[in-house]
Amino acid sequence: MVSRWMYISLVILYGFLLGPFIIIFMASFGANATMAFPPQGFTLDWFANVFETSQFIDSFWISLQLALLSTIVSLIMGMPVAYALVRFRFAGSGIVETVFSAPILVPGLVIGFAMLNFFVLLGDMHVMTGLFIGHTAILFPYSVRVISASLRNLDPYVEDAAVSLGANRLRGFMLVVLPNMQAGIAAAFVLGFITSFNNVPVSLFLSGPGVTTLPVSMLSYLEYYFDPTIAALSTLLVIFTVVLVQAAERVLGLSQFV
Amino acid sequence: MIRRPNQTRTIILLVAPAFIFVLVFFVLPLVFLLSQSVLPEDGGFTLTGYLDFFQSRVSRIVYLRTLKLGLIVTGICVVLGYPASFVLARMPARRRSFLMSLVILPLMTNAVARTFAWLIILGRRGLINQTLLSLDLVENPVRFIFTETAIVLGLAQLFLPLMVLPLVSAMENIPDDVLEAARSLGANRLTTFLRIVVPLSSDGLVLGATLVFTGSVTAFVTPAILGGSRLLLMSTLLRQKAVILFDQHAAAVVAVVMILTTLAVNLLLRVLRVQQS
Repeated sequence: MVSRWMYISLVILYGFLLGPFIIIFMASFGANATMAFPPQGFTLDWFANVFETSQFIDSFWISLQLALLSTIVSLIMGMPVAYALVRFRFAGSGIVETVFSAPILVPGLVIGFAMLNFFVLLGDMHVMTGLFIGHTAILFPYSVRVISASLRNLDPYVEDAAVSLGANRLRGFMLVVLPNMQAGIAAAFVLGFITSFNNVPVSLFLSGPGVTTLPVSMLSYLEYYFDPTIAALSTLLVIFTVVLVQAAERVLGLSQFV
Repeated sequence: MIRRPNQTRTIILLVAPAFIFVLVFFVLPLVFLLSQSVLPEDGGFTLTGYLDFFQSRVSRIVYLRTLKLGLIVTGICVVLGYPASFVLARMPARRRSFLMSLVILPLMTNAVARTFAWLIILGRRGLINQTLLSLDLVENPVRFIFTETAIVLGLAQLFLPLMVLPLVSAMENIPDDVLEAARSLGANRLTTFLRIVVPLSSDGLVLGATLVFTGSVTAFVTPAILGGSRLLLMSTLLRQKAVILFDQHAAAVVAVVMILTTLAVNLLLRVLRVQQS
């Protein structure tokens, strides 16, 4: 059934999806500052330049802290919601589901803009707090959906057995349910972390003087400079992502949750 | 299902913290945004913001351009994604798992990094221009950056995964027997594909098309880098109104139009699905 031209379409698909990454990779080693392609010569200067640009280093730490914090908080708060949705049938569960999937339906730029205006209304708020709130809100759909999926695969009778053997609900959850959801939690964590770490639209409006996320600072760097420093930084980020995604796919089957 | 007398209390305890968080920090800001779009700072309720938006030639052009490019990107993703998804769906599980993890790579990488690649490919001294020049096909570099072509290419690369993922999961469920039955009854490959595979995977197609379209009409980084202020889309227009022109009222109108467009497309998807089942 699968014919030769279909295989050709597969090659085109992958060339189109991955070709640009190979181009960035090559460009980050070129000696020319002018971004001509193919690059001339070979240098590692652009990589050194990445680590000497304080703008990138500072915003990297902010992005890292922000991604870890908002992913963990959205998981801790989202897990009970997923549990309620999967284990109980209740009036209003439809509304709960809609509210928790809404942040994925509203364009990120609109979310950031609306939050900025609202936070201004609330008075002085620290930039980092605003970013944290924004990122946590957009991660709920992922944590609730992925954890729900992994809970559905778990037989509720296992938990009931623990309870009938004398454990209370919370103990049953901690000792029986949680260990069985490790893969789901890890998948939700990886997905949440990547989503927050890469986010531009929500962070764009919420970033402030001195507090900027890495992707937003890359975007503003691009407005002034057009040299292979961004290519070198991109190469590092792509390698980081490839390693993370490959590991997550192999261990957790990440692509089924995206 | 667990049944307990104080079940309601348990459910409230489980759901309330996150629910209140989303209500206060997500729903409320959106309600405020909506009110901003109909209540300018100096005066009462008015719809002039929306009238201005649709009467202004510039915003009409931007809105229609956004929708047009969204449709083109969706079309490209269908054409590139459909046959390739079929090959992926028919593969042994292990090889498919590896290839699928490569498919989602554009979605998982930093948007600025991914879009920067297109600047290198399409730039004045980029891959395509150098090739065209060395083959003597053109005399001077062609301008690709800040064109619709550049935006379409960038968006198609970004959103192809959102087409391929639902298509592959829909096609996985088509049993081999059905395809073999069609072949043994005399259908050729093309007929089998069009009459069996396409109808049986239409769910995935509709879902994929919705995701790609709504993603394309709301994406920010790709049009910001590849279109700039010379070729605005709705998202870059929103940023321009808010950050450069400081017109929060007009920016709120653009934002609400973006939300309504996304909702309308999602609603259409729901209607299509109901009709199918």
